[in-house]
Amino acid sequence: MEAEYSIDLERVSRVYQRDEFEVRALDDVTLRIPNGRFVAIMGPSGSGKTTALNLIAGIDHASSGRVRIGGEDITSLKERDLARWRSRHIGLVFQFYNLIPVLTAFENVELPLLLTSLSKTERKEHVETALTVVGLADRMEHYPRQLSGGQEQRVAIARAVVTDPTILVADEPTGDLDAKSAEEILTLLGELNRQFKKTIVMVTHDHRAVRYVDDVYNLDKGVLVGVEPGGRSSAEQRSAANV
Amino acid sequence: MKYALLVFKNLTRNKRRTVLTVVSIAVSLFVFSALVSLPSVANEILAASTSSLRVSCHNKAGLTYSLPEAYRPKIRATPHVVAVVSESWFGGIYHEVNDQFPNLAVDADEVDVVFPDRGVTDEEWAQFKKIRTACVLGASTMKRFNLHVGQQIMLRGTVYPFNLTLQIVGVLRRGPSQNFLLFRRDYLEEAAGRPGFVSDYWVRVDQPSSIPVVIAALDEKFANSSAETQTESEAAFLGGFLENSRAIFRLAEALGFIVALTIGMVAANTAAMSIRERRAEIAVMRSMGFPSPVILRLLLVESLIIGLVGGVLGCGSAYVALKVLTVGMPAIGGLSAIRMPAIVLLETLIVAAAIGILSALAPARAAARQNIVDALRMVA
Repeated sequence: MEAEYSIDLERVSRVYQRDEFEVRALDDVTLRIPNGRFVAIMGPSGSGKTTALNLIAGIDHASSGRVRIGGEDITSLKERDLARWRSRHIGLVFQFYNLIPVLTAFENVELPLLLTSLSKTERKEHVETALTVVGLADRMEHYPRQLSGGQEQRVAIARAVVTDPTILVADEPTGDLDAKSAEEILTLLGELNRQFKKTIVMVTHDHRAVRYVDDVYNLDKGVLVGVEPGGRSSAEQRSAANV
Repeated sequence: MKYALLVFKNLTRNKRRTVLTVVSIAVSLFVFSALVSLPSVANEILAASTSSLRVSCHNKAGLTYSLPEAYRPKIRATPHVVAVVSESWFGGIYHEVNDQFPNLAVDADEVDVVFPDRGVTDEEWAQFKKIRTACVLGASTMKRFNLHVGQQIMLRGTVYPFNLTLQIVGVLRRGPSQNFLLFRRDYLEEAAGRPGFVSDYWVRVDQPSSIPVVIAALDEKFANSSAETQTESEAAFLGGFLENSRAIFRLAEALGFIVALTIGMVAANTAAMSIRERRAEIAVMRSMGFPSPVILRLLLVESLIIGLVGGVLGCGSAYVALKVLTVGMPAIGGLSAIRMPAIVLLETLIVAAAIGILSALAPARAAARQNIVDALRMVA
């Protein structure tokens, strides 16, 4: 039976030890994101947004509480199992793209597929499809230094979706882009959610992003302070009301 | 194999650094393999002689003292003795003093029985026995002076006040005497006015167990004579020659390993710098799901390739250099030219692989196990 929630953080805390200080990045947070939603996690600096994202992506461990993704409890998975789980279920997009500079766009997107049992021909098909979806089919042999910031982020998004993950996790995907490129990226993410029903969780400071998402989860000082509908939800509600 | 492209691209990401690292490993392993070849060749000579059926019978007072040629039939009559050859040092010079190589006069009649392992063919020995001025010459000396069978050469006397003209009839192709020249003792005796003395005797026995028996018998036979003998196995005889060089061999080996260790530390520093630069990329790969062991293997394979390429270049160029530069040059007590035995090639490649893996092991393990969040935070 498919889980009701793609993402289910139940009374999760994350405490860091920084020299003699204890930092509670998340404090007893319960956060649930339904399947197929495009959501933003927002809040001021130090509110715990990235920490929450890291726990969802499985690259960090909760100090207490339970983390369930797609119905699977990943809280106490060992590192090796967590790595395998990430390769199947998570696609990560970073603020600074984090493409491998010595690999072409094609090779960067192919990288996660090296962990699968796909043949070289099958990998090629997947990569070409992913790059076509993000509109960069004509840039496959370009190196990151030969691409603009927006194009690099598109390649990063292609790399994140090429394995068909359950959840796409984006940490400030527009943080290093100009306004036009940022809009393009947000539109692309919206399309991915709409067309392919991908659950997308995005951490952002960018208030333009509110227009593109279904829900906004607000964090402050490590606590979930509220959930409000995003621009897309409001638009759908208005559309339904007009009908 | 699916990671081959990734490994190749990372190896060529900073071509200058990769090339410099490879060249520095190659130079150090060139020095290592050249230095370690010296004791290895000596050990090879000794190892080959342990199964020899020959014993050396020389004057107990020392190698510079002679023995009467009349000893030969007495030695030949000793039980378990198969053949005897007397040897007289001529010490002639070919062209210049720097062109000197060992040249000795030997009895022609049983030389092929006493030295069957020198790579001289039966036809060549037959010519040696037939032609009074015949000589057989070591292969490395032939190559050094571009000589060939059938050619005549002249040796200028140093110990003896006359020169000898000899005809090359054969080649010493194997054994430690590949820079030697052997010619007929009766020719020397005639030219010298029949002095009737020899430098030493080489005796072939019937089986290994007879060696100590023959040694004891010969020394007892000539005890209390005007020329007492000291008889020893070929291994002991060669070992005595090499003993004086032991300290140099040990020093050469130690220097070789110090050089390899030094470059290993330099390579480790380079590997650490290279891996540190890629910390964020490694964190991104781990966030995609690349397991730590896979990351570790990729980094070690890159370093191993650098080590092995340097090793192949280093020992390959040392092999060629030793072959070209030392052709015919006597070393190791005059017994052999310096060359690189196969075992040294293998040792060098093992050292190269060890440098490759060990230099990157610590930084690679640290990188493969680093906390993903902390590493990504450094990028931000």
